[in-house]
Amino acid sequence: MTAPLLSIRDLHTSFYTESGVARAVDGVSFDIGAGETLGIVGESGCGKSVTALSILRLIQPPGRIETGSVIEFEGKNLVTLGDSEIRDIRGNRISMIFQEPMSALNPVFMVGDQVAEVARVHAGMGRRDAWERAVEMLELTGMPDAEARARQYPHQLSGGMRQRVLIAMALMMKPALVIADEPTTALDVTIQAQILDLLLDLQKKIGTSILMITHDLGVIAETASRVIVMYAGEVVEQAEVDELFAKPHHPYTEGLMHSMPHIGHDQERLNVIPGTVPAPTEWPTGCRFRERCPYSWDLCEREHPPLYQIGSGHISRCHLAIEPERRNNPHPPLVVEAGVAAA
Amino acid sequence: MLRYLAQRLGQAAVIVAIVAAITFALIHLAPGDPFSAVMDNPNVSETVRQTLRAQYGLDRPLPEQFVRYVNLLAHGQLGWSFSNDRPVLEVLGSALPNTLLLMGVALVGSFALGILIALIQVARRGSVIDHTLSGISLFFFSMPDFWLAILTLLAFTYWLPVFPVGGTVDVMHEYMGLWGRFVDRLYHLALPALTLMLLASAVVARYQRAALLDVLPADYIRTARLKGLTEREILRRHALRNALLPIISLVGLSFPALLTGAFFVEKIFAWQGMGYAVMSAIGTRDYPLVVGGVIIGSIMVTLGSLLSDLLYAWADPRLRSH
Amino acid sequence: MPGQIQDSAATRAARPRESPFALGVRRILRRPSSRVAFFVLGVIVLVGLLAPLVAPYNPSAQPDIVRLKDLPPSFAHPFGTDPYSRDVLSRVIYGARLSLMIGVLATIVSLTVGVAYGAVSGYAGGFLDAVMMRVLDAFLSIPRLLLLIGALVAWPRLSIGALVVFLGLTGWFGLSRIVRGQVLALKHAEFVTAAHALGASRRRILWRHLLPNLVSPIVVASTLGVAHVIVLEAGLSYLGIGVPPPLASWGNIIYDGADQPAALWWMSLFPGLFMVLTVMTLNILGEALRDAYERR
Repeated sequence: MTAPLLSIRDLHTSFYTESGVARAVDGVSFDIGAGETLGIVGESGCGKSVTALSILRLIQPPGRIETGSVIEFEGKNLVTLGDSEIRDIRGNRISMIFQEPMSALNPVFMVGDQVAEVARVHAGMGRRDAWERAVEMLELTGMPDAEARARQYPHQLSGGMRQRVLIAMALMMKPALVIADEPTTALDVTIQAQILDLLLDLQKKIGTSILMITHDLGVIAETASRVIVMYAGEVVEQAEVDELFAKPHHPYTEGLMHSMPHIGHDQERLNVIPGTVPAPTEWPTGCRFRERCPYSWDLCEREHPPLYQIGSGHISRCHLAIEPERRNNPHPPLVVEAGVAAA
Repeated sequence: MLRYLAQRLGQAAVIVAIVAAITFALIHLAPGDPFSAVMDNPNVSETVRQTLRAQYGLDRPLPEQFVRYVNLLAHGQLGWSFSNDRPVLEVLGSALPNTLLLMGVALVGSFALGILIALIQVARRGSVIDHTLSGISLFFFSMPDFWLAILTLLAFTYWLPVFPVGGTVDVMHEYMGLWGRFVDRLYHLALPALTLMLLASAVVARYQRAALLDVLPADYIRTARLKGLTEREILRRHALRNALLPIISLVGLSFPALLTGAFFVEKIFAWQGMGYAVMSAIGTRDYPLVVGGVIIGSIMVTLGSLLSDLLYAWADPRLRSH
Repeated sequence: MPGQIQDSAATRAARPRESPFALGVRRILRRPSSRVAFFVLGVIVLVGLLAPLVAPYNPSAQPDIVRLKDLPPSFAHPFGTDPYSRDVLSRVIYGARLSLMIGVLATIVSLTVGVAYGAVSGYAGGFLDAVMMRVLDAFLSIPRLLLLIGALVAWPRLSIGALVVFLGLTGWFGLSRIVRGQVLALKHAEFVTAAHALGASRRRILWRHLLPNLVSPIVVASTLGVAHVIVLEAGLSYLGIGVPPPLASWGNIIYDGADQPAALWWMSLFPGLFMVLTVMTLNILGEALRDAYERR
């Protein structure tokens, strides 16, 4: 097996707030290989965005990446790297695309200049050369009339076009890894498909790896080759994409799959996972999904489940791995019973 | 853009007309005959009195007087300054360039200094330097302009005699060479301009600091960080450019305070500008000159605000591309 | 009681207890800088109120116009004496009383006029509103000091009361704009239409909905307004058209020493220092109040 491009080991990122310490990322480990697309899926608050920000050391106080966390990339630990070294990597070897193209661009500069800035900072290019390279990059993203568009300001472009600008910006220096945090959530459905196709296309052309972060299983299905499911600051399942969709192991993943409405299926009510994510300042002891899980039993309260090996390349943080027969006796999740008592 | 300009000019004209009405009301509401100071003054010649009577229609009903008044104003006739024995317009007109010079230098200087201080504060926000500079800004901001002028006068002309005691130029100015005259002007300008500048920079620094702090949490700042820029580059290139926009409005807004400050500074440093003339007119109760000062002052403020708005419309790309 | 709707415990808990004013004051006292400012301002106000008890000498007394005039600071006269042999410290203390009083009274005048003007303009709307706003713009274009000079030179030998009125009549412009804005916003608010539909009179709407929203801008504007008036009155007195002699105000004292600023430096320095101190504390409190109200 070839060495992974990026290797995260035991990442802990916490926020020290007035209401307590929020352990947003609480012991996450995974690898990303060269040229592969890894998806991270989970609902808001599970820690996936914070993980992404931690990779590029964009966590600001009161947040902090705890010592002992290791993010290995190209032979260096990004967590302990000096300031100027991490800046060398940002936008250059690892870049990131965010979900809000509306506000991610500076309103007072031309978009061409903003894309060109990456080359001026990292490749030391002059204004003219950097501009030409920026226009080339914009053409590559399929922007019609790129030269003219480059002279425009963000408010003159549509959402889809702004996202193309941000993609061009991210890929200017042909990075080894692109982190895409909900890149299509704020866009129209028709544009979503275009942008995803664009990303995959560029990936093939340039050979970057993509870390696709999303809450949308549909996006995962279309783009990822391997998937990580996160819940309450932890990795709860990891598998190849086909395996995950065909044989989800963790009850949370199961719940996610079932909550996706299917075209062609008649449904009277949407399936939901009852309850809500616990607060990151007070992760429960034992399994963090216990109260919402239909299969939990006393072991789940006593022991915090480790990551069990389920199959080849498939791991799951669930005690069902050692007592699989419990899956045959589902019960109403504890959180539902508690809710009924209070009403 | 042109239509906006025309619109604003129209508004400005309306405002000046209303100001004329206000000054007219002041003149006639005040006790005594508004022109008695001129009319009863034995030093004023009979021809002047006749002219005034004819021009202002002093025996006519009030509304007609008002129309004549506005008409005269529109033609630049601001009345007769008996303490100077010259038309008001001439007195103020010849003094205006000096005031503009003083205000101009102070304006540019205060904005430059204020922005610089704000940048330093934000780059080190929360530190001792930040708090100290905030305290110093507050101190200068709370100071009455005339008091600071008196103190600087005392400090730098009496106790540390570095600068001249006052005036615009030296007595020997006419006899100096070109370079000498330039230096002489600078020498006399330095202290009044510095005083005015100090007060104004405190305001600019506070506004600019707030504007920068408003901009920093924006998403596009995060994008800039993602590109690998240093914090300093982010502050100076991305944040500042956006935070300068509200400061442009401040240019127009600070005109009234700048004008008032200039008036006091001119009086205390004997700087021969419009303010000096008006301040002297208070002592001699030369009312036409005072009113003339009010009108011109208001025109300056209105134009200043107009220029400021135009500058803003030009500077913000979101407004420019219409 | 039958027929009456009772508040549930939840509703009662949700309703705010304190008036916005008290809430603001409580919030700003959390900041150390505000506490210091409050304390210092309190001391100055107290000194002003108790002037007759605190001042060492009679501020108008001219005991020995030959030997006791123009004396620099000493033990007997910590702030020196003026050209009329009056004790400057006592005059500064009485000056605090007068300047603060003028500041507060003038601000009250400004508030009244400002709220009235803004409310009428906003409520009337249409042509009247447009005209009133243009007139407001015209007033705003004249620097306040100039306007006051223009008025005060025309009315020589004014009483303090008239001075207060003039000061007040020139300081309401900004507030009236804010009030007008609130009234406009309210005019079109849905709950006003609903209240109207339920039969509430216009006055009731004004009282229960408009006024609470105005408290915060009024409190902030007043605090900062008093500071402005103090500086303005000092400037006018320095020009000789403010507080008439022999009354003592901070600006007055500087005026008395203006002929020989270097020789009589104590007459410029001390009143000015007190002015800066008072204005600084008012500014700190005013801004803290503004931040406190904005944060809700």
